[in-house]
Amino acid sequence: MFSLIMALVINNLRAIMRDRVLLAVLAVALVMILLVPVLSSFSMRQVQELAITLSLSTVSGVLLVVTLLLGSLSIWRDVEYRYTTSILTLPVSRMTFLLGKFISISIFLLLCTFVLGVGSSVVISLSAATYPSDIPIQWTNIFFVLLGDFLKYMLLAGFSLLLSSVGTSFYLPFFGTSVVYFCGNASQEVFEYATGEFGQGLGVLTIKAVTMAYYLVPNLAVFDFQVAAVYGLDIAPADVLVAALYAVVYTAILLGLAVFAFNRRQLP
Amino acid sequence: MKFRLLFVMLLLCYGMLIVPVAEHMQHRPVEVKLGYLPHPQILKATSGEHASTLAGFFMSRVLFYFGTVIQKLQEHIIVRPEFFNLYKTLQGIVHLDPYNMDAYYFTQATFTWDLGRVEEANHLLKKGLIARSWDPWLPFYLGFNYAYFLKDYQQAAVYFKRAAELSGNPLFANLAARYFYESEQSAFGLVFLEAMIRDAKNPAVRKSYEMRREALLAVINLEQAIDAYKSMYGEGPKRLADLVRLGLLRELPHDPYGGTFYLDTLGKVRTTSNFTKPAKNSQ
Repeated sequence: MFSLIMALVINNLRAIMRDRVLLAVLAVALVMILLVPVLSSFSMRQVQELAITLSLSTVSGVLLVVTLLLGSLSIWRDVEYRYTTSILTLPVSRMTFLLGKFISISIFLLLCTFVLGVGSSVVISLSAATYPSDIPIQWTNIFFVLLGDFLKYMLLAGFSLLLSSVGTSFYLPFFGTSVVYFCGNASQEVFEYATGEFGQGLGVLTIKAVTMAYYLVPNLAVFDFQVAAVYGLDIAPADVLVAALYAVVYTAILLGLAVFAFNRRQLP
Repeated sequence: MKFRLLFVMLLLCYGMLIVPVAEHMQHRPVEVKLGYLPHPQILKATSGEHASTLAGFFMSRVLFYFGTVIQKLQEHIIVRPEFFNLYKTLQGIVHLDPYNMDAYYFTQATFTWDLGRVEEANHLLKKGLIARSWDPWLPFYLGFNYAYFLKDYQQAAVYFKRAAELSGNPLFANLAARYFYESEQSAFGLVFLEAMIRDAKNPAVRKSYEMRREALLAVINLEQAIDAYKSMYGEGPKRLADLVRLGLLRELPHDPYGGTFYLDTLGKVRTTSNFTKPAKNSQ
């Protein structure tokens, strides 16, 4: 099974690498990162901090686009183009096929994170050398931010694959994953708002609904270490461990659901 | 062939048009607007890890807006700043990113000297104090505001002490020791401004401080001459021109804000510009 998955992963990665849209997105991302020293020099008192903010935001934004494109254009299109018909006649189970897809997307996300992370590190160093800050650069924190980004978009890719395995077009996985991304970013703030002193005016049912949604929707704030990286604040190892565990468990559940749905799907 | 001819004609038309268009754009009346900032809580909830980037974006918009206002001021064109909107935007920025030093620095630079909104500036700076608990500059700004603008020396002492403890910088300790003296208020302001100019990177903010320093130096010169006059004649001069007539000053100093210095009924040095607006309005 492992060798089958590897063969599928290599095949998928080749297809991803040939995708000109993705290469264009990455090229734009690198240009944006190159612009960071210029843009951050507009800051009056925190050039280095702004350089870190802009670089890490660029990385995160690009990974989101890559995740949405790869996840939303995967399973349903393979079914539509009859690619699954030819692959699944081989001794490849649907689960193996789906896991192959997911692993190849994750590997590509990891590669993007690495390349963009290296580019970011270079421009952050340049900006910091030009306008040194009182706050030393915490490279470990920057690494944790990149790791958090990778885990978050791996989880989102899982969502995208789940929606893609039940959807019949680009729209459901693309917009569904986008909605999950925005809700996941907001869930912690909304939960704290509703259950805090500001939420005392809300009805009991509303608070229960918010709490239920908070537990179901992926909490993407778990992966956000950016402020700590920008301003050199401490990141507890437990925070990183919790984020990693959360991502692995949640993604595994999503993949389980995706396999379940894909196994029951009627293929042409 | 016809198409090529038409295309060349269009290029010629463009060549004839571009210079007048550029001239028109340079002389058009400018109305600078800060724009609208959506509710910060909604922005923060939806922007996720991009909240700091958004804060940086809105900060650059504030700087561009303020830079244009200062530029117009130097050209003696009054553009009425959107004080309330400016403050709401800065509040939004620190809600998105409570660590954003640019926002606090800008608030201190503009809301105290230029806009006279010290209470609002202090409110924002105190928020920053919670987030940037390691930074000596925020208590320094607060201490200065309490001492210089609000004359609340007790509060000033608390903040200067905190700034001195956080930084170990003797400047803060010296200032903490000096603020009690009402007579040294101008000199105290000058020390503060020198420190601010030294670190100012944004040209608009630096220019704003330099204008204020020039004005304060002029006031200090006048006050020293008035003191000399008092020691000679036992009372203050009736007019500032008396200081020049008696050779205590070579000439009356220039007000960088375009006003003229005079003595009020209590004998204090004042200026017609009030250190806020240019004397003439060319728009």
